[in-house]
Amino acid sequence: MRASALILSCVLTNALASAADDPVDFNREVRPILSDRCYGCHGPDADKGRKAGLRLDEFAGATKELKSGDRAIVPGDTEKSMMVERMRTTDPDEIMPPPELHRPLTVAEKDILTRWIKQGAKYDPHWAFVSPRAYPAPQVADTAWAKDPLDAFIAAQAAKAGLKTSPAADRTTLLRRASFALTGLPPTAEEVAAFLADNSADAYENRVDAMLASPRFGEHLAVGWLDLSRYADTWGYTGDKAMFAWPWRDWVLKAFNDNKPYDQFLTEQLAGDLLPSPTQDQRVATAFNRLHRMTFEGGSIAEEFRQDGINDRVMTAGYGFMGLTMECSRCHDHKYDPISQREYFSMAAMFGDQNENGLLSYHGEVPPPFVRLYKSELERKKESELRAAVTAAEMALAAHKSAYQGKPLVSVPAPIAHFPLEAFTKTGVDDFIVGGKPAVFERRSSPEDLQLTPAVKGQGVKFDGDAGFKLPEFKQLGRFDPFTFSAHLRLGEKNARATVLHSTGFYTGDGDATGVELLVVHGKLRWSMIHLWPNSAASVETTAELPVGAWQRVTVTYDGSSKAAGLRIYVDGRKAKTTVVRDTLNAKPRDNALEIGSRSRDAGFRNGSLDEIQLWRQALTSAEVAVLHGLDAQALSPPVLAEHAMLRIDQAHAESWKKFHEAQLALAAHQESAPAFFAMEHSPLAPKAYVLTRGEYDKPDLNKPCEPGVPTRIFPWDESLPKNRLGLARWLTDPRHPLTSRVVINRLWAQVFGAGLVATSENLGLQGDLPTHPELLDTLAVDFVRSGWNTKAMLRRFVLSSTFRQASTPTSEAREKDPANKYLARGPVLRLTAEMVRDQALLASGKLVEKVGGESVQESANRRSLYTYRKRTAPPDNMLIFDAGSREVCQPKRLNTNTPLQALVLLNNPGFVEAAKNLAAKVSKVSAEPSAQIIAAFRAVCTRDPRPAELAALNELYATQKANPPQFAPVPVPAPAPKPTPAAKPDAKAKKKKTPLPMPAPTLPKIPADPALAALTLVCSTILASDAAVTSR
Amino acid sequence: MHPPKPSYDQLMGHTRRHFLGASALGLGALAMRGIVGEARAADLPKGTHFPAKAKRVIYLFQAGGPSQFETLDPKPLLREKHTQPLPDSVRQGQRLTGMSGYQATLPLAGSFVGFKKYGKSGVEYSDLLSHTGEVADDLCVIRSMHTEAINHDPAITFFCSGNQVAGRPSMGAWASYGLGSMNENLPAFIVLVSQDASKDQPLYSRLWGAGFLPSEHQGVQFKAGKEPVLFLTNPEGVSPHARRGMLDALGKLNADQRAAELDPEVDARLAQAEMAYRMQTSVPEVADLSKESPATLAMYGESVKTPGSFAANCLQARRLIEKGVRFVQLFHQGWDQHGGLPGGIKRQCQQTDQASAALIKDLKQRGLLEDTLVIWGGEFGRTAYSQGKITKDSYGRDHHPRCFSLWMAGGGVKGGHVHGQTDEFGYNIVKDPVHVHDLHATMQHLLGVDHERQTFKFQGRYYRLTDVAGHVVKAVIA
Repeated sequence: MRASALILSCVLTNALASAADDPVDFNREVRPILSDRCYGCHGPDADKGRKAGLRLDEFAGATKELKSGDRAIVPGDTEKSMMVERMRTTDPDEIMPPPELHRPLTVAEKDILTRWIKQGAKYDPHWAFVSPRAYPAPQVADTAWAKDPLDAFIAAQAAKAGLKTSPAADRTTLLRRASFALTGLPPTAEEVAAFLADNSADAYENRVDAMLASPRFGEHLAVGWLDLSRYADTWGYTGDKAMFAWPWRDWVLKAFNDNKPYDQFLTEQLAGDLLPSPTQDQRVATAFNRLHRMTFEGGSIAEEFRQDGINDRVMTAGYGFMGLTMECSRCHDHKYDPISQREYFSMAAMFGDQNENGLLSYHGEVPPPFVRLYKSELERKKESELRAAVTAAEMALAAHKSAYQGKPLVSVPAPIAHFPLEAFTKTGVDDFIVGGKPAVFERRSSPEDLQLTPAVKGQGVKFDGDAGFKLPEFKQLGRFDPFTFSAHLRLGEKNARATVLHSTGFYTGDGDATGVELLVVHGKLRWSMIHLWPNSAASVETTAELPVGAWQRVTVTYDGSSKAAGLRIYVDGRKAKTTVVRDTLNAKPRDNALEIGSRSRDAGFRNGSLDEIQLWRQALTSAEVAVLHGLDAQALSPPVLAEHAMLRIDQAHAESWKKFHEAQLALAAHQESAPAFFAMEHSPLAPKAYVLTRGEYDKPDLNKPCEPGVPTRIFPWDESLPKNRLGLARWLTDPRHPLTSRVVINRLWAQVFGAGLVATSENLGLQGDLPTHPELLDTLAVDFVRSGWNTKAMLRRFVLSSTFRQASTPTSEAREKDPANKYLARGPVLRLTAEMVRDQALLASGKLVEKVGGESVQESANRRSLYTYRKRTAPPDNMLIFDAGSREVCQPKRLNTNTPLQALVLLNNPGFVEAAKNLAAKVSKVSAEPSAQIIAAFRAVCTRDPRPAELAALNELYATQKANPPQFAPVPVPAPAPKPTPAAKPDAKAKKKKTPLPMPAPTLPKIPADPALAALTLVCSTILASDAAVTSR
Repeated sequence: MHPPKPSYDQLMGHTRRHFLGASALGLGALAMRGIVGEARAADLPKGTHFPAKAKRVIYLFQAGGPSQFETLDPKPLLREKHTQPLPDSVRQGQRLTGMSGYQATLPLAGSFVGFKKYGKSGVEYSDLLSHTGEVADDLCVIRSMHTEAINHDPAITFFCSGNQVAGRPSMGAWASYGLGSMNENLPAFIVLVSQDASKDQPLYSRLWGAGFLPSEHQGVQFKAGKEPVLFLTNPEGVSPHARRGMLDALGKLNADQRAAELDPEVDARLAQAEMAYRMQTSVPEVADLSKESPATLAMYGESVKTPGSFAANCLQARRLIEKGVRFVQLFHQGWDQHGGLPGGIKRQCQQTDQASAALIKDLKQRGLLEDTLVIWGGEFGRTAYSQGKITKDSYGRDHHPRCFSLWMAGGGVKGGHVHGQTDEFGYNIVKDPVHVHDLHATMQHLLGVDHERQTFKFQGRYYRLTDVAGHVVKAVIA
């Protein structure tokens, strides 16, 4: 009903406009017009957006002489101000704003602008970009009314609008209202009775304090934060697999229930990992920045989706903490707010500080970086101890010096497989070793795909890049298993990327790179052991390129140490010089069968050839590799021989190695006993950030590198802060920051009073609404910071205020003057949210299962709705119909609609029918008297007693329905099979390609056959659908 | 405790003014929309900006990306150069998906199926679309569509909402918001998903979501079977008569509440419940295909008898628009032929060709085609080269956003017309490119809506279906 308010206020504005020389308020009157009609072309966007070199968002730009010689604004002189002429003209080529904007200036607006220029065209800074300050409470006539200073602000403003505050609501209504505001649930009949019986002066305060202390408080407060943080239980894109995220929701619940100060709440979510010695909880909190959607759709480009993920983080932080539309400046400078494109990418650099892959793995692993979720601090401590043990064992190993002085005998151990590649059979190539298993062709659809070619010894194989072969017997190669691969290798071209060897199994794209892997990258060899690329991997690369066209024996060894130092590359028997690409392997690689020459959907070894492939399940020593290539063992250098002797002969070394190996296994086993949970983790390996031209992922402007930073025209950056997410959190929680505290206060206010003091709670920027009570908002913001960012204390003030306690029923005059209740001269009215509507029905029917936290559940579990499993591509229908979102992106605010489908949910949705049945069964035990049963049901749902007319209508319904017992179809509809709980098996469906469209089977609920109970059920159903049920008044 | 109550007349007088003031379309419209606390005068739907050529839209969305080479865009050169590599001069280094981007060679694939000219216009259709060919003179084929996204999810989201990012209103939601329903007892935007399709790529409710528009504009999914609309059916044992009794009681409860609380929103809530009640009758009625004549059923083909099939949904779409539904969108999955294209596309065309043509004929014979816009097409096209090896009987095609084809009919569109042209490899557009935003602009234009003027202010910005782009393709308008 805001619409008529607007019409009304337009009329008022028009009336005021005729008053000739009233002083114009820039922020309230002028800027909204300039921003909406002019800034798109004459605003802060410095790029190609600005027309005629004119900017109207600042005094200097608006008053300077333009190329044409004119000035848009000559302060005090409307005749010389070209802007006035251009807005008055009727020439369609001249008039401003141009007709194609389709938003012409009204007469009143032209009048405001003209008067403003006449009065000197004074610019004031945008209200929300100036630090808030506290104002003294205004003097009001009725001093007794105000219980809290906030009441004085409200009463004064209401008086200005010609409104009188309302008397207090009756106690039952007040209790229901406060209960929804603080817990999201209505009070029970018993609670109402106890409250009404409590005549003490602080009865209400006591109830409020009890509600604030109840775990229901956190469950209620969390909902808005989950919307904003786009919390869900699935990843969102194609396939929409389960996302393991609920431990983060538990963190949110606990944070609200423990009343974690908001500055800490913000800091831990943005930068928990960067705090000194972060706790496990603080690291879990950072999953806030990992909740955005991710895809594993085949063929997706990792960098494109990495950038989209970063953008989502910037956008969410923009809405959530600052009330700004940051994402607008991804492609160009912000059209309205002072945020340049470069500043946007400085923010992006804050959030892109991860060593991460933009894509999910098709196979469902938790995308790194991650933390381990230990059940107790003790277990977490054990990890540190095991880690220390590994370090100690490693140091002992490193300290070990070989005492061996002579020339050890070097003999090459027999390989476990040897493919001479002399000929193909129908299905592959044979292992030379007697009893060895053949390799089989992979991705080979015609015989000419792989060619035999004259090679070092007889024939070898030349690859086409698409086909290869697989060694089905050769798998289970883990990160603690030593391994050697050797073959003669010839490049046919300088491959930009070519897979020579891998154990990934099915590979759909970048997100899947895992296992042991030998690549050619721009002609160099890269040898890796990977959990998931690029975050968790050990990888080395040769410094020199291999020559094209020449055969060379390439041998790669891995010692099973899980470290880059354990990876070696040899060319023609000699150790090649390598650099470390990654040394961060910390979890299991996938260990599928080895595959040679190709990988599905990756670049294979195009035009490359191999001959005499040999494999060992041990790491050959440098000396053995040399001898394998035919070098003379006796001619090898002393260090090579000494190392060989140490590794092969020295028992003490073998002992040290064994201890190191066992320490590693113990650490890994302990780590893997705890689930991996995605989190933020700053990494020096993160890609450098640049301004992306037009925001496109593949167009980084290399001349515009971006250091982490913030939009400093909103609030200056203190150079002593670290340039990272922790610095960002410190910047945001600086008590003088103009947005952070106002944004929270506005959101809390909206939660209690229905609408924010700034109606556009998601946007406090230039295109947002102005606050209805600017001084109140600022004073509360300052109070909030002074209180130590104390959320519960602020909400307590709100619900104890006289403003909140007013009756919500308007006088007809009040409704006429303020239909939307902007001035709060009466109590707030709220249509219950999707969660409240359902939770109330469950509570009233006695079936609500109250258990705080834990994994998500199906609706049939009868838990509070915040625990309902949220599948992003198919959100729960009944909640969507009641205006809940899909949680695909940050939702700072919900709409509040009123539709026929809502009536269908309340009357026919199985959950609500079930609630009606259970409620009927419950109240039928209260009394034998139908009317008493009906009263009990009404109280259970609507909190108050039914009024006589209501009771009469329900009694009549009962009587009619009882006289006409329910009719059932002759054949009962078979109950559909219960849906499996997706939460129970997050990764089980990874292989399932054909995801059917969510099609909830029509589950027709059934009402009881007993006529009395049936009639009572329909009465309860009617109550649940009534206005009294779905509103808090 | 309560403030003095105004008289009934005062109350009703106030209500009337209030309702009429809040909406340009008056009481009924408000009952339909019923947005609370959010609508602003400037954002209220204004209906059309100029006379509409189309009153309604049926969008036959072919999800997965149908190959243009075997349907609407004949390329004899590819048959000549079958298996030869795609020249670099044609590709010009443009990006490929990760699926074929690493493929060692990109062999051109000629269509396994031939093309024929149809109708007076002589527009060519593949032999897989012989029924569609029969209505060639009513269709306008666009061969120069192009889009921005290369993967399904972003591309289909882009096509259905004008943006790759989730959370924007869908095409039908915009139509519902802008133009409303022509039948108070049915939603303005209805979605039908084929049950006989091969579900190779999933669909998402965001494709017909309301985004930031009020939730009433979200597409309502109609399903074959007992309950066409979710939660439409009364619980077992509740007769329509019993339900009527409940609504009467609800009316009394809410009237009393209205009088006590002086809140017209209570009336709106009751109006919604009454409309829900009417939908319980109107929806099963419109969903009942059994009264259709044998001749009509025969025209749509044998599979029309299978509830939820594409054919049945085409017929359902006709029944819905007859009843005044503004926008009906069908989704038929299964067009994602990375491999085994010949077999796959044959099956797809068998499922869709006859019924699509029948829909055009049926609309025409009822005089509905002239003001009903029908569109057939997917989210992107496919590559001229084969993904994977070409064998004797088979090949595949990867995603291709640079050019693809679709057809439009009725609603003020030229019949027997071809718009746009691709190069002889079918890789790039050489004439009259039509961007997805252009198609949206054109669709809205035909509905009488200026795509630049139909906006919704959200988070400080004026949003529209066409974002900041889009030109009406005048050349396809009759």
